[in-house]
Amino acid sequence: MKKLLITLTACLSFSLQAAEAGLTLPNDDLPALEGDALIISQQSGMQVYVNNCLGCHSLEFQRYNRTAKDLQIPEDVMKENLIFTDAKIGDLMKNNMSPELAANWFGTAPPDLSVVARARGTHWLYNYLRAFYVDSARPYGTNNSVFTDVGMPHAMERLQGLQAKSDAVVALEGQINEAKATIASASIAMEQQDASDLEQKISDAEKAIVDAEAELVSLSKAGKYFSIVKAGELTPEEFDHATADLVNFLDYIGEPIKQERKRLGVWVLAFILFFGFVSYLLKKEYWKDVH
Amino acid sequence: MSKMSQFMQWIDDRFPATKVWNEHLAEYYAPKNFNFWYFFGSLAMLVLVNQILTGIWLTMNYTPTGEEAYASVEFIMRDVEWGWLLRYMHSTGASAFFIVVYLHMFRGLIYGSFRKPRELIWIFGMIIFVLLMAEAFMGYLLPWGNMSYWGAQVIINLFSAIPYIGDDITIWIRGDYIISGATLHRFFALHVVALPMALLLMVFLHIVALHKVGSNNPDGIEIKQYKDENGIPLDGIPFHPYYTVKDIVGVAGFLFLFCLVIFFAPDLGGYFLEPPNFTPADPLKTPAQIAPVWYFTPFYSVLRAVPDQQLGVIAMAGALIILFFLPWLDRSNVKSIRYKHWSFKIWLALFVVAFVVLGYLGMKGPTPMRTLVAQIATFYYFAFFLLMPWWSKWGATKPVPERVTH
Repeated sequence: MKKLLITLTACLSFSLQAAEAGLTLPNDDLPALEGDALIISQQSGMQVYVNNCLGCHSLEFQRYNRTAKDLQIPEDVMKENLIFTDAKIGDLMKNNMSPELAANWFGTAPPDLSVVARARGTHWLYNYLRAFYVDSARPYGTNNSVFTDVGMPHAMERLQGLQAKSDAVVALEGQINEAKATIASASIAMEQQDASDLEQKISDAEKAIVDAEAELVSLSKAGKYFSIVKAGELTPEEFDHATADLVNFLDYIGEPIKQERKRLGVWVLAFILFFGFVSYLLKKEYWKDVH
Repeated sequence: MSKMSQFMQWIDDRFPATKVWNEHLAEYYAPKNFNFWYFFGSLAMLVLVNQILTGIWLTMNYTPTGEEAYASVEFIMRDVEWGWLLRYMHSTGASAFFIVVYLHMFRGLIYGSFRKPRELIWIFGMIIFVLLMAEAFMGYLLPWGNMSYWGAQVIINLFSAIPYIGDDITIWIRGDYIISGATLHRFFALHVVALPMALLLMVFLHIVALHKVGSNNPDGIEIKQYKDENGIPLDGIPFHPYYTVKDIVGVAGFLFLFCLVIFFAPDLGGYFLEPPNFTPADPLKTPAQIAPVWYFTPFYSVLRAVPDQQLGVIAMAGALIILFFLPWLDRSNVKSIRYKHWSFKIWLALFVVAFVVLGYLGMKGPTPMRTLVAQIATFYYFAFFLLMPWWSKWGATKPVPERVTH
């Protein structure tokens, strides 16, 4: 029964979400966790969140005590270790940042992240949070390869340290930019003259982009996308682990009922199957006399 | 006389309870050869009831103001007991409504259920369909997410294509120069009061008209032609209990799929609840791609397939209006696909392909290739209906049986 359900849900999640978000670079998969392992990950994700994120990003639709209950954190432990403001246990997880001032500091006010996991998807978040790299052209000294020119500074620099794009990545990006420039100039030229060699040029450049992107993805999967230039408190593996925890926590916050509804769903479907069986027998009984 | 029958007598002397029960259920004779396709009428009623009941409870906690709408939906999802279930039942119900209604309409198409004497049933049904589209469109604004906002922006702007008064009409619809809390509030009123009442009235008329002429069936023949000495159609069986018990089996099948979505994939990979709608409405941030929910996309594709905006709006409206005329477009001398010339199956299969392709393309951003495909599909959509008076008379039909095949 459970296996059937998992297969069916897998069939159903031919994800529009992933297609919508487009290709992220780097492109690493968030390790899938279930049961207790997931809850433990979410618990430490909350720790990462309140220490590194909550100061700027509120979770204004979620309450501390609901989180404590769902993540199996005793309320007194949460009060002592995870609530840094004078908030009560039943309060919403807000912060004291003034949106007006924040907009002045970062160009835009840091958004509330209560449902960010549903808007962006966990894949995007996992890669975005690990994609800050050194870029002296940016006001805070870092840029992000998933969200170019994002206003957010590298908030977890203390943990991760600083990383730079590897030489291979820089070279491939150069190829992509070159191909894009070729497409742009060929498209302009095509408006003045129509020539099939221009079309050929464009399709070659498009193919070059696809190939380069595929190579970037394989570099990313091989862990060769970035290299650390300044060490942080965590090793790269530990940081990936902490980020995965953080994303699992945000996924919980996005839909607190997620695990419970799946658990309930099994019973609901089992009941409907039984109900369907009984009603089929009833129908058969009545229809005996219809010729 | 027992106490119970005394009580019923008392009621019947004052209100035709038993009479209505008999005329519409216990002594309403339906053809005995209904198949799979005949589940979707009663399922549409089930979904309607689901939408009304969950809608009432959602209304108890939803706040229709620009400042609080988005937060109140999250409040329902987190702080209201079983609020998440009510909301998912309602949001999944919206998509389920269109699925069962599209299948219900397709049933009519294959068995000729719109043909004389059932033209009015079809027209009432089409009015229900148009009302349902309006109801779904207005409901989609209520979560006040960014896709709600921009989707409504695009659709309302379609009215600006009306010559001379178009811009004034859009302002009149919005109640403001842009979509704002005023728009949200009036859409809420229309969504929870006006349109549901209109829908219920039309569903009532749809069924009254159906029970006047009787149901069609997969053979497309009239069971009232052969009656026994008591005036009961020989091929008819009382709706209750035969079809009530049969429909319950259909209900179980439907609920299984419905709950599979609610409990395991409520956003169905972004088709039933779209990711950009988990960001609050923002008049300054346009989503990367604005696409309506899947059930509108076939018509949205027709709109985009026409290069000129004004003509596009006309084409989209035409794609709906033409359906009203179906009873007079089909000139075949048989009703059911079972006895029509084989060419009908080809015309119909291509129509299904065109409709699905249009729906798929409406969810995707336009490219020159996709626009071309959408134009071909749009062309075929109209050709299917406009040429029907001609092609429906093609070729020899098979002999129709006197009595239903069972």
